[in-house]
Amino acid sequence: MVTEDDVLKFISTIKNVSTYNFTNYSEKSFKRRAEKLLVDYKTDINGLMYRVSNDKEFLEQIVRDITVNTTELFRDPDIWATLKYRILPKFKKNKSIFIWHAGCSSGQEIYSMLILLHQLDLFDKAKVFASDINTQMLENAKKGQYKYRFNLGYLDNFDKVIKENPYNYDEFKEVPYSQYFDIDKAKDIITMKKFLRDKPVYRKHDLVNDGNIFYSKFDIILCRNVIIYFNNKLQNSVIELFSNNIYRNGYLVLGAHESILGSVSNNFDRTKGLYKKKPF
Amino acid sequence: MEYKAIIIGGSAGSFQVVTKIIAALPKNYPLTVFLCLHRLKHIRSGFVEALSIKAQMPIEEPNDKDPVKHGRIYLAPANYHMYVELGNKFALSTEDPVNHSRPSIDLSFESVAYNYNKKAIGIILSGANRDGAMGLKAIKNAGGIAIVQDPKECQVPTMTSASISATKVDYILKTEEIIKFLLNLR
Ligand SMILES: C[S@@+](CC[C@H](N)C(=O)[O-])C[C@H]1O[C@@H](n2cnc3c(N)ncnc32)[C@H](O)[C@@H]1O
Repeated sequence: MVTEDDVLKFISTIKNVSTYNFTNYSEKSFKRRAEKLLVDYKTDINGLMYRVSNDKEFLEQIVRDITVNTTELFRDPDIWATLKYRILPKFKKNKSIFIWHAGCSSGQEIYSMLILLHQLDLFDKAKVFASDINTQMLENAKKGQYKYRFNLGYLDNFDKVIKENPYNYDEFKEVPYSQYFDIDKAKDIITMKKFLRDKPVYRKHDLVNDGNIFYSKFDIILCRNVIIYFNNKLQNSVIELFSNNIYRNGYLVLGAHESILGSVSNNFDRTKGLYKKKPF
Repeated sequence: MEYKAIIIGGSAGSFQVVTKIIAALPKNYPLTVFLCLHRLKHIRSGFVEALSIKAQMPIEEPNDKDPVKHGRIYLAPANYHMYVELGNKFALSTEDPVNHSRPSIDLSFESVAYNYNKKAIGIILSGANRDGAMGLKAIKNAGGIAIVQDPKECQVPTMTSASISATKVDYILKTEEIIKFLLNLR
């Protein structure tokens, strides 16, 4: 068992020896992660703090271990259908579309977006940026390779978003998976096509400390299931960062059960489960 | 009021039972009711709608950091763990499933036990796995009341039996008795 005091000591140790600051992470899930670390590394909180202070590589590993990286292709198909039919078509006339995936994890969210953009003939116009605090996840995202069996559910989501139209049940478009990824059942892997893998610009980015590192504002920022790991205060400062870096009438896409709670919510209109930056 | 929160965990065979229970709670029922139910992968949505048709109390799937209010039913959203944090706020998480379950009944129950101590009532219903046993134990250890649906009445008794062997439960009740118990709290 890890006490609240242990957690505070652990957080302040990390803070003292690095730029990482978990002070404003959600208590419950952070505590659970800390407990898991003790089991995985067969140590106690003092042992953990000692190693974190004296071994830079170990510290980086711990940061990767602390983050929760679960993700899916087309997670929450309804949101993707909204993007496909209601949001992305608005950008048809633009010369370019700037998109940022903040907290992209192993990349499934990025590939979902890329496939959608390609379906809508917006792929070439799009400038796609992706970031995460976890460098291992960024490497996985670049590789675009996923377990096939574990992710069979992906294909249902793909069908729902890409082949079917929830606004018109009679419509059905046959899109072969092989257009976007190769499935190797024997080896149990799905590999994204090279033209998709080559598209995004990846950067390590810490939402706690870093501002906009991409030298551009954005038409769409996706930050899904990331701020659930933050407390109210940190949520608000992150949303503030997004608000300052979304073009007017651009969109912020949060997770299905996330919302903007502070006064920064005044900068947005909530429409169809997404946040639209007000035009003033 | 002696009690503040009721948390109900259920899995296979619990949907009818939950529906009956929440249908019986009157509109102005003063406690907070948390539901943590396993769902089949392909029926992720539509669940809260189905329950809200039957419920008289307001029912919703909370967003992260939403305040916890009295007189409401909260259903753990599909594919998220649901915690209640100190300061009476929800916290959601997509951490790996615990005992193959997300939402995990154990995690929700433990956080309710921690937050409400002896003002919590935990109820475990029908289900085909052992999730919930540790959570109900946490409720009991924190001074709350531990109830399980009578395994003889359960469509699948694995979950309730596991709870009964994990902790000295206060009551083993049939659905109708659970309802009576909850209504008499007032
Ligand atoms: C649950 S995943 C979400 C993945 C994807 N957006 C989705 O919704 O499927 C959360 C991600 O947030 C990242 N993260 C956590 N803290 C962060 C921080 N301070 N800055 C940037 N990313 C962070 C984690 O490394 C993890 O990959």
